Amino acid sequence: MTGFEPKIIGFLCNWCSYEGADSAGRARKAYPANLRVVRVMCSGRVDPQFILEAFKEGADGVMILGCHPGDCHYKEGNLQALKRYGVLKRVLGQFGIEEDRLRLDWISAGEGDKFVQVVSDMTERMRQLGPLRRSY
Amino acid sequence: MHGTQQPAAWGLFCLTGVVSVAERIGVYVCECGPNIKDAMDIDEVVRFAQGLDHVVLTKAFGLLCAVEGQELIAKDILEHNLTRVVIAACSPKEHEKTFRQCLEKAGLNPFLLQIANIREQCAWVVKDKALATDKAKATIHAAVRRVVHHEPLEIKEIECQPHVLVVGAGMAGISAALTLAQKNRKVYLVEKLPCLGGKVARYEDVFPSLECASCILDPILDEVLHNEYIEILTWSEVQEVLGFYGNFLVKVNKKARFVDTETCIGCGACVETCPVKVANEYNEGLDERKAIYIPYAGALPNVAVIDQEHCLRWQGEACNACQEACPFGAIIYEETDQVRQLRVGAIVLATGFDLFDPARASQYGYGKIDNVYTSLEFERLVNSTGPTEGKIQLRNGQVPEKIALVHCVGSRTSQFHEHCSVVCCMYLIKFAHQVNGKLPGASITGFYSDLCLPGKEAQGFFNKISREANIALMHMKHPDSIEMTKEDEKTVIRFTDIQGQSQAVIPDMVVLAPAMEGARDAETVAKLFDISQGKGGFFAEESTTLAPVSTAMEGIFIAGCAQGPKDIQSSVAQGQAAAGRILSRLVPGEKLALEPVSAEVNKDFCCGCKLCVSLCAYKAITYDDVKNNVAVNKVLCRGCGVCAAACPSGAIQASHFTDGELCEEIRGLLRQG
Repeated sequence: MTGFEPKIIGFLCNWCSYEGADSAGRARKAYPANLRVVRVMCSGRVDPQFILEAFKEGADGVMILGCHPGDCHYKEGNLQALKRYGVLKRVLGQFGIEEDRLRLDWISAGEGDKFVQVVSDMTERMRQLGPLRRSY
Repeated sequence: MHGTQQPAAWGLFCLTGVVSVAERIGVYVCECGPNIKDAMDIDEVVRFAQGLDHVVLTKAFGLLCAVEGQELIAKDILEHNLTRVVIAACSPKEHEKTFRQCLEKAGLNPFLLQIANIREQCAWVVKDKALATDKAKATIHAAVRRVVHHEPLEIKEIECQPHVLVVGAGMAGISAALTLAQKNRKVYLVEKLPCLGGKVARYEDVFPSLECASCILDPILDEVLHNEYIEILTWSEVQEVLGFYGNFLVKVNKKARFVDTETCIGCGACVETCPVKVANEYNEGLDERKAIYIPYAGALPNVAVIDQEHCLRWQGEACNACQEACPFGAIIYEETDQVRQLRVGAIVLATGFDLFDPARASQYGYGKIDNVYTSLEFERLVNSTGPTEGKIQLRNGQVPEKIALVHCVGSRTSQFHEHCSVVCCMYLIKFAHQVNGKLPGASITGFYSDLCLPGKEAQGFFNKISREANIALMHMKHPDSIEMTKEDEKTVIRFTDIQGQSQAVIPDMVVLAPAMEGARDAETVAKLFDISQGKGGFFAEESTTLAPVSTAMEGIFIAGCAQGPKDIQSSVAQGQAAAGRILSRLVPGEKLALEPVSAEVNKDFCCGCKLCVSLCAYKAITYDDVKNNVAVNKVLCRGCGVCAAACPSGAIQASHFTDGELCEEIRGLLRQG
């Protein structure tokens, strides 16, 4: 498994998490280059099929990052994301995709440090899990 | 500009757009001085981008956001017939708008642009040059694949109604109404009580200036009453609200007053002769009023009103004492409620607050011990138009010598309200000043756990009054470390001080400062206007920091204590702010510009499951039960895309964030780099 570098797709909401990622950048806080970001207006925009598409296309891990509960720019879009996440985790298990390969977290615009932490943790976990085994 | 193409993602399985015409994409890589240039191999990035499908032009440039950079892009668009542009530079949060304008100037739809964030999320966070180069390439690849599927979006506009409905004629509502009327806006000022001025009209003095409330209020009420642009609907309540920002249709029930407002001069002859007596809510129940009444001396408009619930005529008795007593023939028993239909573009809710009922916390003895009063009761006791004409006296007529003022009743406690009610420390100090003026020998004891005296006025006001009046302050351990009991006809206050010691004091009178909370009918109002209630029962603002007077419902604004506890100046500021927000966007003769990024429904694919209807936080989606499909109201839609993610048939798409665009982005990120 040495030398394996996972590919991770992150869906970041425009108002909190994307800002949080930018603020990590402004503070020049380094984190693993494994993350590739898709900006969405709200974490509630993340259709489960995007996540499946990401796994299909070669992602080893997927993250959905949204505003903290109560802070959603669109009132409760992040809670919709949370509900879908719960269901999707079970579905992924049935596909043989380890639960840890999908992660949902809340990152506010000011939480650059937390963003770095979450991305680093996720990358480390994916390194441990190794490449996603695809049966097709 | 670009060829006809199947909207990228209509349909269940069609996640890839069909591009029928070769697009001509220009990719620009910003070096951002050394910021991006030094972090990656720019030449490699440019070479890579040049090889991507549809890319006809790739350039690296020192600083694209500079005028020279923008001119370069605009010139290239025209010279090379570019149909789409990708800019690999800083975060879209920095310059997406700048570059959109740049496209627009060159005649290209501004939405045919995609920004690849290779600075904040690449150059600045990836220390290894090779990895940064790879990440930048992947990000650009995704942007190119995505931008191919971008649809040109138009900023739509709708006709709108410039008139405004203001609900609640307290300080905030009046301030909003006057500010709007100043710009010749028609304002419907709806007030459920028979008179204007809200709670402030029933105060004697106000802090920190200690001006008399009516001295402040009367001139502006006079302005409201005589303003040709303000139509006052007192004794009226909103019944129904339809529509959306720019075009609301509101039904207001103007309750029968049974007194002709034009002929009544408020002489009070009718009041004297009325045989019915009921508790007077305008004096907090401290005295009685008649079934026909003027709320208090000086109430404006100075017109009587019949309380139908208690008037003998509506109990089946043939009393017409008031009609006989009226020298002007102003009493009309036949009057009926009238429903008015109002067309307005925006709504300001300034429906105020109520006090926490201290009887809910038994430790304060309120309702059981006669000598315990709320602050609003005390306001009426010291008021010259109140039940005692301003004399501070107990229910038994005795004049108190020792007065206790209790802070934080029901606030700053996990049991009731967590919030601080902002004004209590200030008005209790004002009470001390009033007691000192009216009862010079009386001793005053304040029971507090923390004093809240923020801003440029409060501490000075507190210091000044503390020097003048005979006030002792008892520092309690917690806001609720206090209990009142009645022992041998005496009111005993026991409290735990900051050191944890138990102490007791025996006052003659106790004045409580109960928490301010959302008005008793706030829940009904919230439902009626489809907005939400937040902490403390107050209406929830769109954003606590950046949008404190707007709500999640476009066009519905909140101001004053309906939004949260605050003092008069803040209420006035919010009323004016809400009016300002309306004046700046709802301009007569101008159309209302709508958010271009919104949800779109392809009715052919909609199966009418209504999942989206229940998910939309803005009630922007409506179901047509005849056609069995849904439609999105573009005025209400904010473009979050929650509906698009949920739609099982792919019939709803979030424009600029379509399934097709996002899936292409995902592929771009993963297939390369």
